[in-house]
Amino acid sequence: MTAIFEFLSYGFGRNALFGALLVGTVCSLIGVFVILRGLAFAGAGIAHAAFGGVALGFLLGVDPLITAIVFCVGTAGLIQLTGKKANLGQDTAIGIFFALTMALGVLFIGFMRRYDARLYGYLFGNILGVTAQSLVIMAALTVAVLIFTGLFYKEFKFLAFDEEMAQASGLPTGLLGALQLGLLALVVVVSIKAVGVILVEALLVIPAATAYQLTNRYGMMFILSWVSAIGACIIGLILSYLLGVPSGATIVLVAGFGFGLATVLSPKRRRCKICGKKLS
Amino acid sequence: MTAAVEFTGVTVVFQQTVALQDVSFRLAKGEFLGVIGPNGSGKTTLLKTVLGLIKPIQGKVTVLGASGKRIKEVRTRIGYVPQRRPIDVNFPVQVLDAVLMGSYGGLGLLRRPGKEEKARAREVLKAVGLEDMAFHTAGHLSGGQQQRLFLARALVGEPEVLLLDEPTAGVDVATRGQIVELVHNIHQERQLTTIYVTHDVNEVLPCLNRVMFLNRTVEALGSCADVLNPDVLARLYGTPVAVVESQGRKFLLVDDRHI
Repeated sequence: MTAIFEFLSYGFGRNALFGALLVGTVCSLIGVFVILRGLAFAGAGIAHAAFGGVALGFLLGVDPLITAIVFCVGTAGLIQLTGKKANLGQDTAIGIFFALTMALGVLFIGFMRRYDARLYGYLFGNILGVTAQSLVIMAALTVAVLIFTGLFYKEFKFLAFDEEMAQASGLPTGLLGALQLGLLALVVVVSIKAVGVILVEALLVIPAATAYQLTNRYGMMFILSWVSAIGACIIGLILSYLLGVPSGATIVLVAGFGFGLATVLSPKRRRCKICGKKLS
Repeated sequence: MTAAVEFTGVTVVFQQTVALQDVSFRLAKGEFLGVIGPNGSGKTTLLKTVLGLIKPIQGKVTVLGASGKRIKEVRTRIGYVPQRRPIDVNFPVQVLDAVLMGSYGGLGLLRRPGKEEKARAREVLKAVGLEDMAFHTAGHLSGGQQQRLFLARALVGEPEVLLLDEPTAGVDVATRGQIVELVHNIHQERQLTTIYVTHDVNEVLPCLNRVMFLNRTVEALGSCADVLNPDVLARLYGTPVAVVESQGRKFLLVDDRHI
């Protein structure tokens, strides 16, 4: 307990905790759509696009979060457009841009005169290095994601449940789908500083998948997903500080442990009550 | 009488094949049209064209007074029961919630369903016999119950036109009869203009108004007596058709199998 207070007495400790709460909140909320609409690969693709953006930021000497936003939102838009215009499955479109943006990232790093060690922090996350300036950007993006998710709560639900019917009912499904990918892109940007390009996918998928194991109610899925993400972020952060191990990886491993627990305890996996008992 | 749905020389190309060719028909308000035809004959395309989800390359479609791009605007006045895909067993949505989704289009963006919509959802759930299942997980319903749910969802927005695409697909024989009867009752009670698509000719035998035989083009369109007789059907299907009567009900058998 003393160690926790000691951790929070430092400015970087408080920044890290605040950052973890922001990341946990956005990832767990958008993660519900990722799970219900099967967007896990889209999340991975957009996260890798962030790598290209971060590398460009370092090359140009601007805040990498800003260039990452441009790259992620741009990639999300291109995935949506290509899937539609080129008559390709979204998976194929993601596969294309996943590789292209990574290639650009490698190219940008090649252009840099010397390797910047901070780049490593964006790849694997360094929540203890989150600055106050990054926190402001993260908080603003979190608010934007919360507002849109709240405004289109019912539309996103219909889209996840039955996209064809949502369109037939008169909902602008193309626009809503694009908006969702755009939000996913923003969430990735919010999270890369904390958990890194590679591990952000885990926070998008694992808390919502944990919630999916535990409930059959849509609203409840958001709550459980949020609780499991926040829990993983706080516990992971403290553990990483106490054990002196990387924070991003610890958060993800804690989330993974939660998922394992939820799967074992899942009421959905419980068999019928009379099964296994003798029938009289 | 004003037409609710009107096709004039409509040709639709879908996935590089001609799905509908020179289709013309006029459906008056409150009329019931049964559409039969083999698999791949364009029946689903016909319904999607009514909804404006697929655009014709030729001809004119008018639905509730709107045509062309403006069909989008009347979509909220059309109830649609698509061909059934089973609901994901664990999808976190309850029956009442799934039915309420049918009201979203009419509510518009940002507005949430209120008391009025919930009362209407309850009412349509009762009409389809699912009032006791309102808080069950939608994916846990049986095939027949899921079809009733989709029917309730199509009705909750109080549509003027109802489109049904193989509403009995994947359900047992007894339930099939119940669903056909339910659709007929709803059509009569609500005076809904209805298009009922099926590949099973026996489902349109308790015929209400008119029947269309579709095989990319309209091969037959007329009253029940005109189309649903063994001679006409034998010509359309290209195989002998037998009429079997059992317990006062007629059944059509084509080439030893139900079509």
